Amino acid sequence: MAIDVRARLTARRRAARRRSSGGGALRLLGRGLNGVWLFALLVALWWVLSAHSRSPYFPPLHTILNELAKVWFFRAARVDLVPSMIHLAIGYVAAGAIGIALGALFWRVRVARESLSPLVYFLYVLPAPVLLPAFILLFGIGAFMKVAIIGFSALWPTLLNAIDGMRGVDPVKLDTARTLGLSPRRTLWSVVLPGAAPQIAAGLRNSLQVAILLMVVSEMVASTAGIGYFILNAQQTFESVDMWTGIIVLGVVGSILNLMFVLIERVALRWYYGERALQQA
Amino acid sequence: MSVGAPLAAARAQRLLRPTIKVAGLVAALVLWLVLGAVGALPPDAFPTLPATARAIGTELGGVDGWRSIGETLEGWALGFVLGAGCAIVVGVLIGLSRFAFRSSIPVIEFMKTIPVIAILPIAVLIFGGTLKMEYTLVAFGVFWPLTIQVVYGVRSIDPVARDTASVLGVRGLRRFGLIVLPSAAPFVATGLRIAAAVALILAVIAELIGGAAGLGRDILVAEDSGQSALPIVYALIVITGAVGILITLVMTQAERRVLRWHERFRPVERGIA
Repeated sequence: MAIDVRARLTARRRAARRRSSGGGALRLLGRGLNGVWLFALLVALWWVLSAHSRSPYFPPLHTILNELAKVWFFRAARVDLVPSMIHLAIGYVAAGAIGIALGALFWRVRVARESLSPLVYFLYVLPAPVLLPAFILLFGIGAFMKVAIIGFSALWPTLLNAIDGMRGVDPVKLDTARTLGLSPRRTLWSVVLPGAAPQIAAGLRNSLQVAILLMVVSEMVASTAGIGYFILNAQQTFESVDMWTGIIVLGVVGSILNLMFVLIERVALRWYYGERALQQA
Repeated sequence: MSVGAPLAAARAQRLLRPTIKVAGLVAALVLWLVLGAVGALPPDAFPTLPATARAIGTELGGVDGWRSIGETLEGWALGFVLGAGCAIVVGVLIGLSRFAFRSSIPVIEFMKTIPVIAILPIAVLIFGGTLKMEYTLVAFGVFWPLTIQVVYGVRSIDPVARDTASVLGVRGLRRFGLIVLPSAAPFVATGLRIAAAVALILAVIAELIGGAAGLGRDILVAEDSGQSALPIVYALIVITGAVGILITLVMTQAERRVLRWHERFRPVERGIA
């Protein structure tokens, strides 16, 4: 057993050294290629196979990319992408802030948590897009409705994860805080929130996906601008090249947003990953 | 404090908890009722509780409501089974090979981040507002995240179990059933549970925007048919939520039953924690 542990530790140390040393550049290049070649191959296949396509559904990739450069780098990005992103940003940030704040409130006021949990659970499980008609009736079809539905739908994953995470905080730490005479607010900031942070982050990531979905759906159902409107309008007017440009832009934007989230999460929770690695070693 | 006191407190709490939950729900409904009675709800946007309850009764009392529920569930189930089946096969194949794993994970991770809704117009263009369009969209949305779960599940094999199997000469299908499957099962189960919820959202979107038959389309039709149909809009929203709860409950129970042997569901550890 002891030998096994020691051997594993040396292996881990060696792996760490390999990662940090400059000599691993070749290995790094190999790993990079590993991750990229299939991607490049698939794009190349799409390019070649669609090059002489006459299908109305699948126009040639080079036509799509030409159009994309023409349409999106000038007009559409400003008219259709920027407003969408602003709605998304406001709705998502509001949902995240309210979700964490409500989670903290539920942590303090237990009766509120217990009595509201069926309602919160119902709204979490309810497929958010069906609320769209109700929101249109309530708030019209303006920007406020879009921000509202994005925020409302994105709230529940963060809230539920915040509640769960705060409930899962190590009781020993809570007892310690009580023994040290920390005020509830101090306890919240220095014990509960950090303890729940990993799960809150998971909730926020889930919320981001819901927010992007509702951004697009709300523009598809009730709008005359926005990326969702652009794509659906192109489809309904059989401008399939335009439709494909919109799909590519939406895909890239979605990927960038998710990537940004992962990067921020990694920096913000660096202490947590460090702690976990220590425990596992 | 005696040892019995916390236990008694815990028992009291267990009795109290459902009561508080029911009380919360009742309070919310009473609030709705009162707001409607005093006329505080906007009459052209938010129906009263009795009107909504009547509309739910009408929907569930007739054939149409149940047919729509059936259509939504059909699109959900077909897409879920198709997407999950493909994901499990592809995920296992990728997970078993180191080369395939390293090459394909970036592509799948990228595909996962593309909002599935982007695919909807293509599906509508090809299939129109049909059931086929609906389950294609659902299957596509289920496939990518679940494939990743399956791949990581297959790769999470306990090295000791793997080495033991090698030493004992367990190979091929037996190795798959004895070593790979049990280690991947919890990952796959979690993936399936999440995918089931995503699938319902996509099914509803396919009906709401793509025009496939089901609850989503009914809601839009009701919204367009004026103020008299307003309670029906909310009734259908509640019914869709109930379908969501049903699916979540079934998936959670199934997961618990199938994975009873797994440590996550062993009651002993729960009791301690």
